[in-house]
Amino acid sequence: MSEVPAVQVNRLVKDFKGSFRGGGIRAVDEVSLSIAPGEVYGLIGPNGSGKSTTMKAVLGLVKPTAGSCAIFGRDSSKVDSRMEVGFLPENPYFYKHLSAAETVSFYGKLCGMRGAALKARVNEMLELVGLEEARHRRLRGFSKGMLQRIGLAQALVQDPRLVVLDEPTAGVDPTGSRQIRDLILDLKGRGITVFLCSHLLEQVQEICDRVGIIHRGKMVNEGNLEELTSMHDRTEIILQDAPPELLEQIRNLVDQANKGELVSEGHPRSSLESLFLKETIEAESKQKAASTK
Amino acid sequence: MSDRPGTSFFSPRRAGIIALSTVTQLVRMKVFYFLAPIALLFVGLQFFDVFWYEGPEASQPQQELMMHKNLCLGTMMLFSSLFAIVSTALLIPGDIEDRTLYTILCKPVPRLDYLVGKLLGVISVIFVAMLVMDILMVVTLHYRTQAVSAELGEYLGAIGWGEEEVRQGQAEVVSHGPSLILQYGVLAHFFKASIIAAVALLISTFSTSTLFTIASSVMIWIIGAVQSLAREGLFTKGEYGVEPGMVDRILGTIISLVFPDFQLFESVSDGAARVMEIGVFDMLHLGGLTFFYIAIYTVLSWFVFSDKEF
Repeated sequence: MSEVPAVQVNRLVKDFKGSFRGGGIRAVDEVSLSIAPGEVYGLIGPNGSGKSTTMKAVLGLVKPTAGSCAIFGRDSSKVDSRMEVGFLPENPYFYKHLSAAETVSFYGKLCGMRGAALKARVNEMLELVGLEEARHRRLRGFSKGMLQRIGLAQALVQDPRLVVLDEPTAGVDPTGSRQIRDLILDLKGRGITVFLCSHLLEQVQEICDRVGIIHRGKMVNEGNLEELTSMHDRTEIILQDAPPELLEQIRNLVDQANKGELVSEGHPRSSLESLFLKETIEAESKQKAASTK
Repeated sequence: MSDRPGTSFFSPRRAGIIALSTVTQLVRMKVFYFLAPIALLFVGLQFFDVFWYEGPEASQPQQELMMHKNLCLGTMMLFSSLFAIVSTALLIPGDIEDRTLYTILCKPVPRLDYLVGKLLGVISVIFVAMLVMDILMVVTLHYRTQAVSAELGEYLGAIGWGEEEVRQGQAEVVSHGPSLILQYGVLAHFFKASIIAAVALLISTFSTSTLFTIASSVMIWIIGAVQSLAREGLFTKGEYGVEPGMVDRILGTIISLVFPDFQLFESVSDGAARVMEIGVFDMLHLGGLTFFYIAIYTVLSWFVFSDKEF
């Protein structure tokens, strides 16, 4: 028996009605996609391309005009299907009057959890997102990154098999963004399917197995990230501590072979994100060391 | 297919969780601070004499207690009704604007559970607030009754009335003090506020702004208060003996079906203040009517809300 896809979207169409004078809009136009269990799938596209509407249709928050969406084989318009899903919306807001632990507990209770199992799960989730110390603090005073992390904790509380993340790192600083990225990779390691949309293409490239590119409501390209991004007519060789003589020999070899062409050479660059993280972490450890002296 | 169990059509437990969260939200919004000025008002009534009450020699000293009860019940009615409208109107649009609703509805929560939970939360807070106001009213009324009774006893004794006659006079005054019938009046206002909360819930499911919800709910509250008068005018023969037409009849029927008749609740409250005969069956009837209205408005809210897109 073939494995049931975690997400199955079949020829999804979503039209939004306009004002009295007409002007309705087709937000999603015959989009189809399938996400296998355990896969990390990224949906990318410019603003207003239909990414969020597709996600909302998968979550049952909007009704498809045509087509269908299913989660692990269950029609996503049915409440049952949501037992398997954790959702983190873009810029999430939660009840500000609740503390971090109360928030995770509230969502756990909504999923039918209770008693000691719920308490243990709340502790586990707060530890996972690194908010144990803030467990009794009300969300009113949380930073954007902390809200995003509490959002992830509530999304994961019922141990879903699918996590849907809408711009999970929007407005979060690079450190927080890296933590969220690591959390997503951790989810992937635990076999949880992740369906995300993001504008940060570098991050999508780092974590996704497959991507779909959506433009003006239509899926314009979709596939394995490796296949989509590799330049098959080019080869990259990275050498560590290579002396100038060795480099000269390689250049000569290429010239003599009379096949292929050396397009460029130079020092590979680290990303600005890596540089930022390196500098801030170093500064922090220096400060800590100074304060302990 | 998934091996997890399905979600029932309605779960009282899940509705209870949402209700409890709503209560916590309202309590932490410090809504009970409104009770402080009300407490001051009730206590202040102790020291306020009715302008027409000229002491124990007046023919009806219980007027003093009537005024106390009317003011207390009126304050409770106003507070509970306004609270029901404003809190309900703020909660659902607030959840939509903050996207809290996204995260709730993306859990296995049927929309009916969410609506019922929100409504139960508001009704629970109204209940607690009315209970506190009721206790305050009963305590202050008790002391007021004691004072008026003692004053009357002294006066009647001084003008030479017999012990038995004095006791009868005082018993008449005490009968206007705290009683079960007075509690029926409070209950009628609680029922009314619960219906108003259900009306506000219905409006907030299709309204686009909090202001619209509040304004429309207040309008329905007013229509509900005067609709029995309007029906009387439409269904009965006019001053000149003119029979109401078909349009009038249809209009009257629609009004009576759509808008709750709050006059019934007002009459019970008024009767309670006047210590009129109100039976348990009258209250059961009123409770049944309240349940009917709340059920109708909740089902309508559900119809609207179940198709709403976010």
